Amino acid sequence: MTWLTVAKKDFRDAVQSRALWALVAVFVVLSLVSTYAYVEVPEMFGSPAGATFGGLLFFTIGLVGLFVPIAAIVVCYKSLAGERELGSIKLLLSLPTTRGQVFAGKVLGRAAVLAFGLGVGLVVGLGFGAALLGEFEGVAVLVFVLATLSFAAVYATIVVSISATTGSTSRATTLALGFFVVFELLWDVVPMGVLYVVEGFSFPATIPDWVFTVTQLSPSSAYFSTIVALLPDLAETVGADPAQAGAGVEVTAADAEPFYASPEIGLVVLLLWLVVPLAIGYYRFDSSDL
Amino acid sequence: MAAIELEGLTKRFGDVVAVDGLDLTIREGEIFGFLGPNGAGKSTTIDVLLDFIRPTAGTATVLGHDAQEAGQLVRSRTGVLPDGYHVYDRLTGRQHVEFAIEMKGASEDPDALLERVRIADAADRRAGGYSKGMRQRLVLAMALVGDPDLLVLDEPSTGLDPNGAREMREIIREENDRGTTVFFSSHIMEQVEAVCDRVAIINRGQLVAVDTIDGLRDATETGETLYVYVTDLDERVLEQVRNLDGIGSAAIDDGRLRVSIDGVSKFAALHAIDRVASVQDFSVVESSLEDLFVRYTNDTQEVEA
Repeated sequence: MTWLTVAKKDFRDAVQSRALWALVAVFVVLSLVSTYAYVEVPEMFGSPAGATFGGLLFFTIGLVGLFVPIAAIVVCYKSLAGERELGSIKLLLSLPTTRGQVFAGKVLGRAAVLAFGLGVGLVVGLGFGAALLGEFEGVAVLVFVLATLSFAAVYATIVVSISATTGSTSRATTLALGFFVVFELLWDVVPMGVLYVVEGFSFPATIPDWVFTVTQLSPSSAYFSTIVALLPDLAETVGADPAQAGAGVEVTAADAEPFYASPEIGLVVLLLWLVVPLAIGYYRFDSSDL
Repeated sequence: MAAIELEGLTKRFGDVVAVDGLDLTIREGEIFGFLGPNGAGKSTTIDVLLDFIRPTAGTATVLGHDAQEAGQLVRSRTGVLPDGYHVYDRLTGRQHVEFAIEMKGASEDPDALLERVRIADAADRRAGGYSKGMRQRLVLAMALVGDPDLLVLDEPSTGLDPNGAREMREIIREENDRGTTVFFSSHIMEQVEAVCDRVAIINRGQLVAVDTIDGLRDATETGETLYVYVTDLDERVLEQVRNLDGIGSAAIDDGRLRVSIDGVSKFAALHAIDRVASVQDFSVVESSLEDLFVRYTNDTQEVEA
């Protein structure tokens, strides 16, 4: 059970990070401003029929999809690489624990820090929105918040795992930023590029289903699809379309048929983003000389 | 049962051999000094004991368990003051000790431990603001949590003033009196001499000596050394002095004769030398272990070079 102790200590330590709170402040301000903007001019944000609370939720996804990856990098990139670079890992591993427990504790502790910061922002933003709109959908909010916190946990896992592969913080920074650029900023382009090449350097008239699947490999796209899958009625009424989703999110086939092209694929992808980084990070961390 | 048993322990970092076929046994209940110049392989050896690094060959058995296979078990009975560690800057001293107590499943009073290492008045300050000596005391307090059977201390007096180093030695003795085996490394002979039952000297990854302090003194000719100023010192005089009865060894050192005496009085030796070349002045030096240490570590280097 030392992982729980490690997680608690890590939470206590990381929650005192000024960078984290600066980020949370920015997120709170952004969510207040954007919520206000959405409520005042909904037609600009994909709700031509007028502002609804459901619309606000889907609108918030775009903001979260950008905030979570950046916050995860800030909160987690040093989690293990930094301890190894400084040498505090020696203090930690001098105690009766294992590297697996330390790794698990770090993931849990940092995920909790991220969830805490994100939670503060969401409560403020959605509370403000509910007050402005005069409506509130309890079940939808619960599902949305749980999915969003899970997404944050997945991102914390990814970045802590990246941090576990190296003993140099500059290397960890490069890897984490590289991940962000490839999977969040450029990922829209990648499947289209692959399609272009596969089709003999031209675009076909109809876009095949597998392109959608590749698009979903980006964690924030998978997060968006997950919410669509979990709140299908709401998604339909607000006509969840890619334009709202912001960074790297492009859902082209929300109602397509085969499983790999349905929004449920998002859940599978998120699960993979949890398991695969954990496996790689643990393997690298456990086998290295500190 | 041995507290620590190293068998053919070898660690390579790329082309560099940090530790080279180390065989060493530390008995239960002793205070063992691990001595060597910087870069000799002391910390590498300790890092293997704690499973921070994995050996290239050989094994390390600590308290009867393989250090790599059963690291958690080993560390549950071992208190550690590692080398090159860093404290958690944002956590207070008390939080550090509380963390160690919780990790070890112990039930001690953090304030009593902090009192024992004399930083109780700084318990609520963030450890990031501690001096090097205070950090060293803090980590020692963490090491003492749970009344360990073995203390592994890597350069424990780093950053401590003479008073602090003395307090550190007192704590080492107190723990040892309660049955704790103490294994500590140092590059300063004086600290080892003051407290250790036995000493190993390591140089360039290899053991060059393992003995008690007295045994080390006896094993070498460094009992007493005479420095003698004579008129007209040259190779011929040196040769004649060497052949005198009761002279162990002789050499020219900085314009003087350096002579070790073997079985005769200093007076008799001086008298004999005076007949070869007239003695103008002399001094007697009882060689310290520091000399011994320097000699051990330099000799090996010359042999290897």
